[in-house]
Amino acid sequence: MFRNCAIIGCGQTKHTSKRRDVSAAELAAEAVNAALVDAGITMKDVDCVVSGNMQGFGGIAQPEQWLGDWIGCAGKPAIRIATGGTTGGSVGQGACYTVASGMYNVSLAVAWEKHSDSKEAGATTGLAHVGMGNLFHALAYGLSLKNLIATTAVGAAAGVAVYQARYYMQRSGCRQEHLDMVAAKNRRCAAKNPYAHLQWPNCQPEDIAKTDLIAYPFRYGHVCPASDGASAIVVAEEKFARKHCKQPAWFKGLASYSDEENQLQSENYGGVGVIDPSEQMGARVSAMKAYKMAGITDPQKEVDLAEIYQPFPSQELIFSERLGLFDEGTAWKHMEKGETDINGRLPISVSGGVNATNAIGSSALQRILEAALQIMGKAGEHQVPKKVKTAVAHGWGGVTNYITFTVLGDTPRG
Amino acid sequence: MGEKIGIIGYAQSHHQYEVQKTREDLVFDVVKEALAKAGILREELGTVVTSSTDFLDGRTISNVFLSMAVGAFLKDESKVEEDGTSSLMYAVMKLITGAYDVALVEAHTIGWGFNPHQVSFYTVDPLVDRQFGVLNDVSAGALQAKMYMDKYGVSEGDLAAVAVKNLGNGAVNPYASRRMADVSATEVLKSKMFFSPITELMMSPITDGCAVVILASEKKARSVCKNPVWIEGMGNCQDPYLRDRNLLSLTALKKAGQAAYQMAGISDPVNDLDLLEVSERYAHEELMICEALGLAREGKGKFLVENGVTTKCGELPVNPSGGALCADPICATGLVRVVECCKQINGEAEDHQVSGVKKALAHGQFGICSQKNTVIILGGE
Amino acid sequence: MGYVKDERPETMMVEGDWQVGAYRYKAPRLLEEYAQNLKNKKIVGSLCMGCGKVIVQPRNICGRCHRRMEERKIVSEWGSLTCFVVSPPVVKGKYKLFGLDPVDTGALKEGEVMIPVFVRFDGSDSNIACLLFNAKPEEVFIGMRVKAVWAKELKGAMSDLDGVEPIR
Repeated sequence: MFRNCAIIGCGQTKHTSKRRDVSAAELAAEAVNAALVDAGITMKDVDCVVSGNMQGFGGIAQPEQWLGDWIGCAGKPAIRIATGGTTGGSVGQGACYTVASGMYNVSLAVAWEKHSDSKEAGATTGLAHVGMGNLFHALAYGLSLKNLIATTAVGAAAGVAVYQARYYMQRSGCRQEHLDMVAAKNRRCAAKNPYAHLQWPNCQPEDIAKTDLIAYPFRYGHVCPASDGASAIVVAEEKFARKHCKQPAWFKGLASYSDEENQLQSENYGGVGVIDPSEQMGARVSAMKAYKMAGITDPQKEVDLAEIYQPFPSQELIFSERLGLFDEGTAWKHMEKGETDINGRLPISVSGGVNATNAIGSSALQRILEAALQIMGKAGEHQVPKKVKTAVAHGWGGVTNYITFTVLGDTPRG
Repeated sequence: MGEKIGIIGYAQSHHQYEVQKTREDLVFDVVKEALAKAGILREELGTVVTSSTDFLDGRTISNVFLSMAVGAFLKDESKVEEDGTSSLMYAVMKLITGAYDVALVEAHTIGWGFNPHQVSFYTVDPLVDRQFGVLNDVSAGALQAKMYMDKYGVSEGDLAAVAVKNLGNGAVNPYASRRMADVSATEVLKSKMFFSPITELMMSPITDGCAVVILASEKKARSVCKNPVWIEGMGNCQDPYLRDRNLLSLTALKKAGQAAYQMAGISDPVNDLDLLEVSERYAHEELMICEALGLAREGKGKFLVENGVTTKCGELPVNPSGGALCADPICATGLVRVVECCKQINGEAEDHQVSGVKKALAHGQFGICSQKNTVIILGGE
Repeated sequence: MGYVKDERPETMMVEGDWQVGAYRYKAPRLLEEYAQNLKNKKIVGSLCMGCGKVIVQPRNICGRCHRRMEERKIVSEWGSLTCFVVSPPVVKGKYKLFGLDPVDTGALKEGEVMIPVFVRFDGSDSNIACLLFNAKPEEVFIGMRVKAVWAKELKGAMSDLDGVEPIR
């Protein structure tokens, strides 16, 4: 059966666009050491290590074979989980399953990303490589380059997110100024988080509105950065957790359902049967399963805080609806009233979220980590004033078809 | 282990170099075959765990375009990279928690797409070793073989004997890629030399292949399957980095084996086990693997082959399917070993069937000189 | 005020390569079928006999039913816009694809404003991404009816379907 397990320690590194002071191994080790110190344990207590990153970005194949010694894999059971943008979330959930199954008592989950190791900015090679096999194939059949450039150049860093935002705005009545508000909130909150990347103290929507337009509705001020960073958590079974941690963050429910490819392409440049990438069936179904596991029947009332994976501000609004936190089409209205800010009724991504810090491989783990910090009361300056009993952490990735969703609580299951 | 988990269905592709199918078709066909064997519908799946790597497949997020083919639409899905046996272990852990009651594990590699030995070169330390450019899995394997031969007085002939045994076994396995019933030790030693002492026939061939295993928790397994194969023990361990470990013994495998034996209640592997399927990428690795798993003392692995103990009709057959030396679809190799063990336990192995198999061991490895190892102990009813 | 920046000391850099372009991939003949039909001004989608969905461009496998999509259906030349994005005017040097500047290669003109759209042709259950011609950015809306624009010379390549234009 599902053995009770909890997060007892969290560690992350400072995120910047270029961590040129460390190698990838030292970066991951920084997070691991911070997590072990936070949990008050040593590497000897760890039974299993679950690690992951997106190897295409760093150019090292199966990196934990080299840097495993830095993060404690040597001589221990070690598995590597890598699922694209949701890598961190899958790694965190992996650590939970290893302990919940009873196979191991203490697991360490670590995820990292070192974008600056890639010669091009923003991990272009790695990202292009997702669809490169399909692209070569289509080019052979006379794919129009102009068409390709237009559809990708306009999106550029944003890709399908621009279209996704347009779908959402059409469906809900949300306007561009709401995206400015969300981005400003994220950068404001990030300024209170010492580890975040894009910190803008007291940022206001007007500051964001002054930045250049990429393609309506996205501005440069809305977009996430490409960060170097790592995060790590220590997951332990009940007895160990209670002994080492005053207020552990217990795993209540988790799920990771996949949807059909959402970015127009399937293998070999076929089409896909998804018309609206803001629908996100995977997110809806993951939330259903995780809430059921956690015994939550009314998420709008029972969830105190959410860490949503939002490289773009539109996604914060979209996913908060899909995950059952707001009614369809109303997220922007609640946000407008200030409900999702640090002092609000349902704070969302008050660490700044992925909008302010994006080390792709580790971002989804960071959402679980930040949600845990809020439950444990250790979030420092960006700790929310209300008592957090239930927090949810979310991640999306792949070709916008992968989801991880985790529900954490201040008491164990059952 | 609390909850019993059983294998209710399995399938593998006909492994070959340059399979004439797309990745999607390859995976889809094998998944369909496994579902049919298990007698369940895709709708009954709870979770899917796949295994492949980005560098080998030539796509970042190698499983993202295969989710539909593997049957993961609106199903819980994850990917554990590297060997299929690690995915299997993760899937078993998910089932034990009770979050799901049926899991599908899939592993594949298209070796033809990009030389896997080149990919192993990308796994070494980028700061020093990669700059020198001499270390890949073959050259490191050769170093390990040389050390092993020097320390324990093992000859090239002893390594060739392993190759002859396995290649001969693979000849009657319709799923194997390299099948040579008539190969001799001389031919093995005279085949193309890569890094001394490793010749072409002492090394696994580059293969494309896929394997799928379907697992279910006890209640579900008994309700759909007449002869589930139970997971009795699992163990996993990773060695330190290539230059920082003792290459003379497979320490990680020893630890993984001990963990699996303890879980399965096995104190005397030679007597308690009926059959082993191990992933031996190089001929010398099979000798070292048998030693690490407790079948022989350090350095004495060659006598198991010499005395006929590990042949198909010996006391403790090792790799009656031919092992990795006959077919090595890298990420799938370990899972193929699991499939072969299940076939042996259920009496479905046809021409390479060993009689009276009740308990079998499957081993999967990944990484230069078998750095990461997983051991699975399987048992019939 | 603005962003808080953080400078870090440099370490030594060593280089490494990854031959991303040296991979070989196997592909099916589906796109060939699609491209050949474009020569006859026909847009072909694959039809799943399980759920009845029609996917343009054709794909091999229906994930919902977990079965092969063996049947084909020809969808209409007319369709509706499901989404659109208006690009800012093209500026040389601002964006590179595969290391090449699109203005330099002649693919785009400086100052051009493009409207990439998602089109759902009548009878299909999927989107195609292409460009919208002969339309001003202000008049584009979701649900707008459009029809296919064919290349002047039909070669049996994917570029035969140039884009779409509004039905007036």
